Amino acid sequence: MTEQNETVFIVDDDEAVRESLSFLLKSVDIQSQSFASGDEFLGAFKPEWEGCILLDIRMPGISGMEVQRRLVEQDCTLPIIFITGHGDIPMAVEAMHLGAHDFVQKPFHDQELLDRIQAALTARREIQDEVEQKRIVQQHYSTLTPRETEVMAAVAKGHANKVIAMDLELSQRTVEIHRARVMEKMQVRSLAELVKLAVLLDE
Amino acid sequence: MPHSARFPTLPACQAYGICLVATNPEQNSVPKFDVTAQMAVMNALIEAIVIMDDRGQIKRCNQAAIDMFGYTQDEIIGQDISILMPAPDSTNHSTYVDQYLRSGKAKIIGIGRELNARRKDGSIFPIHLAIGEVAYYDSIRFIGMMRDLTDNKKDEERKLRLHTDMITASRLTTMGEMAAAMAHEINQPLAAIANYASASERMLARGSDNIEDIKVALAHIKTQSHRAGDIIRRLRSFVKPDSVDLGPTKMNTIIDEIKPLAEVDAKANNISISFDVSTNLPEIIADQLQIQQVLLNLLRNGIDAMHENAPEDRHLELHCYIATPDTVRIDVIDQGHGISEEAGKKLFHPFFTTKATGMGMGLAISHTIVKSHSGALSFSNNLSGGATFSVMLPTKMANR
Repeated sequence: MTEQNETVFIVDDDEAVRESLSFLLKSVDIQSQSFASGDEFLGAFKPEWEGCILLDIRMPGISGMEVQRRLVEQDCTLPIIFITGHGDIPMAVEAMHLGAHDFVQKPFHDQELLDRIQAALTARREIQDEVEQKRIVQQHYSTLTPRETEVMAAVAKGHANKVIAMDLELSQRTVEIHRARVMEKMQVRSLAELVKLAVLLDE
Repeated sequence: MPHSARFPTLPACQAYGICLVATNPEQNSVPKFDVTAQMAVMNALIEAIVIMDDRGQIKRCNQAAIDMFGYTQDEIIGQDISILMPAPDSTNHSTYVDQYLRSGKAKIIGIGRELNARRKDGSIFPIHLAIGEVAYYDSIRFIGMMRDLTDNKKDEERKLRLHTDMITASRLTTMGEMAAAMAHEINQPLAAIANYASASERMLARGSDNIEDIKVALAHIKTQSHRAGDIIRRLRSFVKPDSVDLGPTKMNTIIDEIKPLAEVDAKANNISISFDVSTNLPEIIADQLQIQQVLLNLLRNGIDAMHENAPEDRHLELHCYIATPDTVRIDVIDQGHGISEEAGKKLFHPFFTTKATGMGMGLAISHTIVKSHSGALSFSNNLSGGATFSVMLPTKMANR
C-alpha cells in the first residue's frame, strides 16, 4: 500500500514486462507509471516526484546505469531498484556502489519484488522525514540570537553553566536565562534532546 | 598382399601387356614366355583380371578376381560375365557387346570408368573397370581389369561427413555465443507471465470483483507464452542435426528467419540493427541452414567488432539485393575497427581470430560454405570506418 503521492516509476524497454509489472503493482494497490526507455523517463522526470524507480539495467539506447548517473546529476534522490538479467550481476554491484538502493534478478518472485519496493518506499519516507525534521530544526535554530547560539553550542558540548558564564564573561544567572530561551526556541525539554539536535545541525 | 610382395616392382600395365601376348600360345613369332610365369604375373597383380570371349563367357581370371568376387576358379570359368554385374548392367551387357561388335563403337573400351560390380554373395561394390581387346585366332577376347573402390568411397564419405560435422559444430558454437542473449529474450516473456499470474492470484484472493482484469491478464499470459515458444522454435530449427539439404530456396525466407535471432543478439549487445532487403529476390540453389549460418556468423562478427564503440556508433546493417541478373548479393556493414592489412591476409584461414575468445573457425567455415554454393565471400573496409562483408550467390537461373 502506498501513500497518496507515491508512484513506482517503471523503466523497461520490453512492453510485456512493463505492462505486467504495472499490473502486478496494481494488484497490491501501488500506482505506477511506465516508460519505454531511459530517454523517455529522463525527459519526463520532475524533481517533485515521490516514490521509487524500477529500472531495467540492460536497455537499448541509454543504459540503466547511464540513467542512474544522469539522475544523480539532477540531484534526484528517489531510490532505484535495478532489474537485472542472469549475466548482469557485476553491473548491478557497480550500480549499488554508485548509490542504487537495491537490485532484483529476473526472473523474480512477485513477493520478493514487492518486498523490495516496499523497503525502498519506506527508506524513501524515512529519508524524507529526516529531511523534513532537519528543515524544522534549522528553522528553529535561525530564531536564536547570536548570544543564544553561543550558549547552545557550549551547552551541547556538556559545559556547566558556571564554566559557560566564565567563558562568555556573563553572570551565571544570565547564562541560565539564555539557556532556558534556547530550550524553548528549539522546542526541547531535556539536555539530551538538545545535544541530538546540535548533532543533526552539524551534519 | 603376398602376390605383390613377390613382384614388387612390376607395374600393372606391363603385366597387362604380357598377358595379352601370352594368351596366344600357338604363334611362333612372339617371344617365349613360360605359362607358369604368365600365371604368376597375373596372380601377382592387385587388380582383378577377367578374360572373356566375344560371347561374354569367362575364359580366365586371376587370383585377385577370385578374391574380389568370391567365386572359385571352377565356379567362374565358363560362366557368363553378367554374373559379376548388378542389374541392369547384367541384363544389358550382351547387348553392349553385340552393339560393339557390329558398330565398333565402344561405350567403355579404352576409356575406363567407375561402376558397380556384384560378388557371389550378391553384395554390390564400386570398381574402376578398364577393358582391352585382343585378336584371338578368328575372334576377339576382352580383358577386363578391375580395381575395388570401396575404400576410396569410404574415404570420400568420411571427408564429407567431417565437413558437415565441422559446419554443424561451428553453428553450435555460434548458438553458444548467442545463448546469453537468447536466455535474456526468453526471460522477458517468462517474467511477464509470472507477473500476470501472481497479480491474478492476488486479485482472486481478494474477491471476485476483478474478473475483467484477470481475463486481460490471462490473454497476456497466452500471448507471452507463444512469444517464448517462438524464440525456442527458431533456436531449435537452427540447431537441428546436420544433413545437407540443397534445394531452391527463397532468399527472402532465408533472411526473414534469421532476422529475429540477429535482432535479439544485437539488442543484448546494445547495438541497433537494420535490414534493407529487396522484395521478391530470386530463388537460389542452397542449403538454407548453411547460408543462414554464414549470415548469422557475419552479423555476430559485426556485433563483436563494435564492442568498444560509443552508444551512437553501434549500428549494424544488412543489405540484400540483386547485384547482377545472375547474382544475389548480401552486404553486412558494421562500424567496428575494420580489417587491418595483416588480418586481411589470414582472415579466412582456420584458427585465425582477432577476438579474445574466438576459435577462428567462423569465417573459415563461412568461406567454405559460400564456395561450395559456387558463390564468393569478400570484405572491404568502409570509408566511414568499419568493415563490409559481402556474400555473392548465384541465382537459381544462373545455375542452369
